[in-house]
Amino acid sequence: MSGAATTFSILLRPFARIAPLHRRRAGLLAITVAALAFPLLHDNDADIDAAANALAYATLALGLNIVVGFAGLLDLGYAAFFAIGAYAYGIATSFQVMPDWSPFWEPFAWLGLVAHVPGSGGPDQVHFTVSFWIMMPVSAVLAAGFGILFGAPTLRLKGDYLAIVTLGFGEIVPIVVRNWDSLTNGAMGLNGIAAPRLFGYRFGIDAEPYYYVAVGLVALLIFISTRLRDSRIGRAWMAIREDEIAAGAMGVNLVRLKLLAFAIGAGFAGMTGTFYVAKLQTATPEMFGFPVSVMILVMVVLGGIGSIWGVVVGAVLLQLLQSWFLQDLTQWIHALGRLIGMPLLLRIDLVQSIELIFGIILVVMMLYRREGLIPATRRAPALTFDQQHAEVRRGSTIALQGLGEGAKSPHPALEVRGVTVKFGGLTALKSVDITVPAGGVVAVIGPNGSGKSTLFNTITGLTHADAGRVKLYGTDILGLPPHEILALGAARTFQNIRLFPNLTVLENVLVGQHSRLRTGVLGAILHLPRTKAEEKRALEWVMEIVAVFGNRLMPRLNQTVNGLSYANRRRVEIARALASRPKLLLLDEPTAGMNPAETLELAEQIKGLHALGLTILLIEHKLDVVTNLADTVVVLDHGEKLTEGRPEVVRQNEDVITAYLGRNTAAGSAAFV
Amino acid sequence: MTTADLLLQQLINGLSLGAMYSLLALGFTLVYGILELINFAHFNVFMVGSFIAMWTLQMFGLTGQDVVMTGLPLIGVLLVTFAVTMTGSGVLGVVIERVSLRPLRNVKGPAAMITTIGVSYILFNLILLGVGADSKNFPNPLPQAELHFGDAVLRLREVLIWIVASVLMVGLWLFVQKSKMGKAMRATAQDPEAARMMGVVVDRVIVMAFFLGSALAGAGGLIFGLYYNFTSFIIGFTAGLRAFTAAVLGGIGNIPGAMAGGIIIGLIETMGGQFISTAWTDVIIFSILVLVLVFRPAGLFGRLAPSKS
Amino acid sequence: MITRRTAAKAAMGAAAAVALGVEVTPAQAADKEVTVAINLSLTGADAESALRIRNGALMAIDDANEKGAIKGYKIDVMLLDDGTATAGQYDPAQAATNARKMASDKSVVAAIGPQMSGAGKAMAPILSQADLAIITPSSTNPDITNPKFAEQYRPAGKAIYFRTVTTDAFQGPNMANYFAETLKVKSVYVLDDSGAYGVGLADAFQGQADKKGIKIAGRDRLDPKAADYTTVLTKIKSIGPDALYYGGVLQAGVKLVKQAYDIVPKMIKSGGDGLYGPEMLTAAGFPAADGWYATNASPHMVEDSKLDGWMKAFSTKFGMQADDYTITAYDGASVIIDAIKRVAASGKPVTRSNVRDAIQSTKLDTLQGPVSFDANGDLVSKVVSIFQVRHDTAYPADDMIHQFKYIGVAPEA
Repeated sequence: MSGAATTFSILLRPFARIAPLHRRRAGLLAITVAALAFPLLHDNDADIDAAANALAYATLALGLNIVVGFAGLLDLGYAAFFAIGAYAYGIATSFQVMPDWSPFWEPFAWLGLVAHVPGSGGPDQVHFTVSFWIMMPVSAVLAAGFGILFGAPTLRLKGDYLAIVTLGFGEIVPIVVRNWDSLTNGAMGLNGIAAPRLFGYRFGIDAEPYYYVAVGLVALLIFISTRLRDSRIGRAWMAIREDEIAAGAMGVNLVRLKLLAFAIGAGFAGMTGTFYVAKLQTATPEMFGFPVSVMILVMVVLGGIGSIWGVVVGAVLLQLLQSWFLQDLTQWIHALGRLIGMPLLLRIDLVQSIELIFGIILVVMMLYRREGLIPATRRAPALTFDQQHAEVRRGSTIALQGLGEGAKSPHPALEVRGVTVKFGGLTALKSVDITVPAGGVVAVIGPNGSGKSTLFNTITGLTHADAGRVKLYGTDILGLPPHEILALGAARTFQNIRLFPNLTVLENVLVGQHSRLRTGVLGAILHLPRTKAEEKRALEWVMEIVAVFGNRLMPRLNQTVNGLSYANRRRVEIARALASRPKLLLLDEPTAGMNPAETLELAEQIKGLHALGLTILLIEHKLDVVTNLADTVVVLDHGEKLTEGRPEVVRQNEDVITAYLGRNTAAGSAAFV
Repeated sequence: MTTADLLLQQLINGLSLGAMYSLLALGFTLVYGILELINFAHFNVFMVGSFIAMWTLQMFGLTGQDVVMTGLPLIGVLLVTFAVTMTGSGVLGVVIERVSLRPLRNVKGPAAMITTIGVSYILFNLILLGVGADSKNFPNPLPQAELHFGDAVLRLREVLIWIVASVLMVGLWLFVQKSKMGKAMRATAQDPEAARMMGVVVDRVIVMAFFLGSALAGAGGLIFGLYYNFTSFIIGFTAGLRAFTAAVLGGIGNIPGAMAGGIIIGLIETMGGQFISTAWTDVIIFSILVLVLVFRPAGLFGRLAPSKS
Repeated sequence: MITRRTAAKAAMGAAAAVALGVEVTPAQAADKEVTVAINLSLTGADAESALRIRNGALMAIDDANEKGAIKGYKIDVMLLDDGTATAGQYDPAQAATNARKMASDKSVVAAIGPQMSGAGKAMAPILSQADLAIITPSSTNPDITNPKFAEQYRPAGKAIYFRTVTTDAFQGPNMANYFAETLKVKSVYVLDDSGAYGVGLADAFQGQADKKGIKIAGRDRLDPKAADYTTVLTKIKSIGPDALYYGGVLQAGVKLVKQAYDIVPKMIKSGGDGLYGPEMLTAAGFPAADGWYATNASPHMVEDSKLDGWMKAFSTKFGMQADDYTITAYDGASVIIDAIKRVAASGKPVTRSNVRDAIQSTKLDTLQGPVSFDANGDLVSKVVSIFQVRHDTAYPADDMIHQFKYIGVAPEA
């Protein structure tokens, strides 16, 4: 450790002794006090104004953070929602839209929403005078509505296409604003937008009241973001961001949650638009173009994608850079140029180069520090040597009560009838029939390319079938989306392990509980008692599951899964599937890549699950595992079911051996005995 | 002007615009087909190419439209300018790939696309800060020959654009279909892993794709300058979005599709502007983009490569 | 009369000042400092003309400081930029911030600017509440001084937005008058560049042209970021009006001029003061720009022989040629200097309120002629000058004085 770092850490030692929770609270208090006291200590109206602008951009960054950072949806047209909120307030308070007066408007006038203006040489008119405080939530809802409107047809597009489409919307909205003269006064902009009024006090042009409103807005949105992030909804968003397919297979309704993220992000922007324009008292279409969308993206990238405080810092830093530092920095560079006699330096004007700086920030951050200045996920401390080399202890599966309910069902767990799947000219599955009895274990085997994974994908809704039926405990599931199939009780793992890499073990497994929880946005934000109870129960259940794997996973609960060993990652995946309280567990080559000891251990655990009554369908290559676990073995070859029966019978079947080893090795049957 | 003449004129206009969009769309679709990456920087490579062309022509002592050349000197000047511009743009594209995209090749998520936005901004602002915001007069040695069909006018430079664009597009098509490198590119577009296992040096294929795509963009920039007699830092932006729509419309990753898409978008622009209004052209074109992506993402001619899961 | 005592005092004062390292000119050791803010769009598309305006204002202020025009006072300059790279031109939010900066610095007694009307709309309400007068040499949008919008732009009541140019309420319509009366145009197609200034100017022109009996053959919008205007020009060609009027700035203007030359070379073509700039000559170039009309919302003085000396002094000092808005900027600064002088002479304190009042009552002879303001802050003189580009090969291509031929004053309604 360098000398400076040592000194620094010595200085911080007294603070390190305070518990992290108290440290965080103290820090929060300090920031709040500083923010509130700022205008009193520094009485420069222009600087307070700049600070208020910076905070407005911070709320925009917070909103984009939900869309890009939490849900992983790249939105390049975010400024469109900013524009919508701005113009909504503008139209609701300026003199632009003035319909003729009629008795219809009486109740609105009584409520103070409109004013009756006597006509000068014409009929009396209606002047909209909606209050700023009412418009804030109204703009948020309006912008969210547009978010849903734009998102509904487009959110299922792939990431980069979505980005382009959102860029398109970001361009269309200012164009429509500019062309729709009668509503928005077009290119000349809306003027005479009313300043907010609070109990008779009109805000006027002093920057202070706006500054305080901005502080309040930022605080509110940080609060909402944090509550959402740490809730069922935030977990689902991050699951979508990390691996959409796995998220869907674990019960996350992709379309609904993406729309939710988009709409909430749009709502933040709409609210900020109202605030911004109330402060500026004018709105022009130029204020909301693509460069603004990119600037907000740069703030998010700089601060830390997905990091709430990070994007606030990023926004404030960039805004202050533009209004305070760059001019001074430019003078400094000019002075340096004069000093060392380099005339090129005198030509540099950093203020004009701000867009260039944005581009450089984007490239540099993506290449060298993708997590941003303040990363969203903090590294959990590494395990101690002892922890890493501890003797393996694991729990039993007996504790996992309730998983065996399905065994009591009169229906077979799974009925696959005549399922045919074609990819273009290739027939991956041809009229396959499989029955998995309730409470049984069925293994599917076959050479590579025989269609085993395709079978799983078809059952779990990831692949479209061309013909056939699939019934889960008597319910038709063919054609249902993956999250609904999970909700009905079929959970799976993937052949090439699909975890959520940047989430912790605990978070990964908790995602499995997504479809069993009911907390919505309101519950997440308000921490309703029902929400808290639900989360507590989910956590308890997850801990029980993780305990099954003993101290392999327990000490690693707060580590991100991308640092785990292969075997541990497989265990997390199985735990995640179990978290959803499935009635049928589909395991796709669960012991692949494990050494014999680990294979044995996992086989025991699967057996334990079966003993509880859980129905299992598994794909396996290791024939000793198959023999150990399975009641029935189904053999697939080239998409067709070759044979099925008890393991010992199947492994001696001629056709099966030929399929695996080729035609000329009848003698190869020795290998299987 | 009779309706027939008007239609003919707008058709000529549309085809010329379309040729430019096709060139841009081609380069874009080449890269996307192999990398499945939307390269935002592509359209500013087009803009930089236009400036390289302008500086090259200025080195010949040409400024503005006053000096007119004919015959062999004209062809010589044009050939040299094309060569310099296409090589310069191609090299720029390769540098961009090497420095900013290759390190991110295996990173999931929007990181690579965000980087291309950053590179795009850097190119845009370097030119803006370097040469200023005003439009530059583009040196144009072409003679002002024109042919009249009633009231409709067909100019020499329009014919030139069509010829050059066709030659380049057919050349690219032949290259991709017939040459060994072209086959390697198609293979990589379908399955990089398998291609690698067959001995294809995927890195080299990607470099070639970037070089070719950027060279085409550069050629587009030169043609732009010759057609409009001006260039400026901002030409990448609008042309870029239209060319992108063209690529998507034709079927992204599909070379003949990009050509067709470019022509269609060019015609929509002129016919839409004539019969509706130029104020709504952008909205119309974006709506087409959204509609195609939502209802027929494979575009008119489908895709060559399956999507990565 | 300089007595020995005064001389001794001055010498001691000078010596002390020199000892303290302060630069001092005799008899000015006790100058009070007031600040004049200059707010222009120094970043973005309008940066070139911003420099010419800035230098015009600086010329007046430096002159005043050197010659000690205001006894006992020195003028400091606070230069502010309302353009941002993100907007690529003026940014209303930045303009508002600048207005706040001016307002919160108590030493600022008056301001020059803004260059663009869009910035003015954001700044005016703030300046009104601060009772700080600003004189614009180039903002022509009439709304800001229109009494109909007084509640929006000057909530405190008094006029604070003064102009040494006239507004588009006259620039557009007066050109329409010229079209009808002198050029005998029967039909015109109107274009705008979708910007605030351009749309306003085109609207004003169109309204008056209609009133004068000119048929409006159509109205369309150009996208300044797009390159191709052949579609709309072909449309115009097919309709076949006598003339084409363009409201907007040179970003779209240059491209329009070039392409119009190919498609509608014989049509009468005109723009407003947006086209009156050197890029018209350098970027649009010849032969495309030949024949285009442009207007300026001020009298044409730069060719006036009375100004020869001034013109030479300006180009020597700043190394660039002055244009008409340089003169209006110079005049605006002169008005401020004159106002401060009058306030100081009357014994009242030099505050921004007093300076505003003094500006309101200005009656000053300036380079562009006599300047005085009406109750709204508008220039009393409504002169709009008309120019036509005529290529003069005897002079360099970017010489605005000789390539833009002065036609005369546009007829008022």
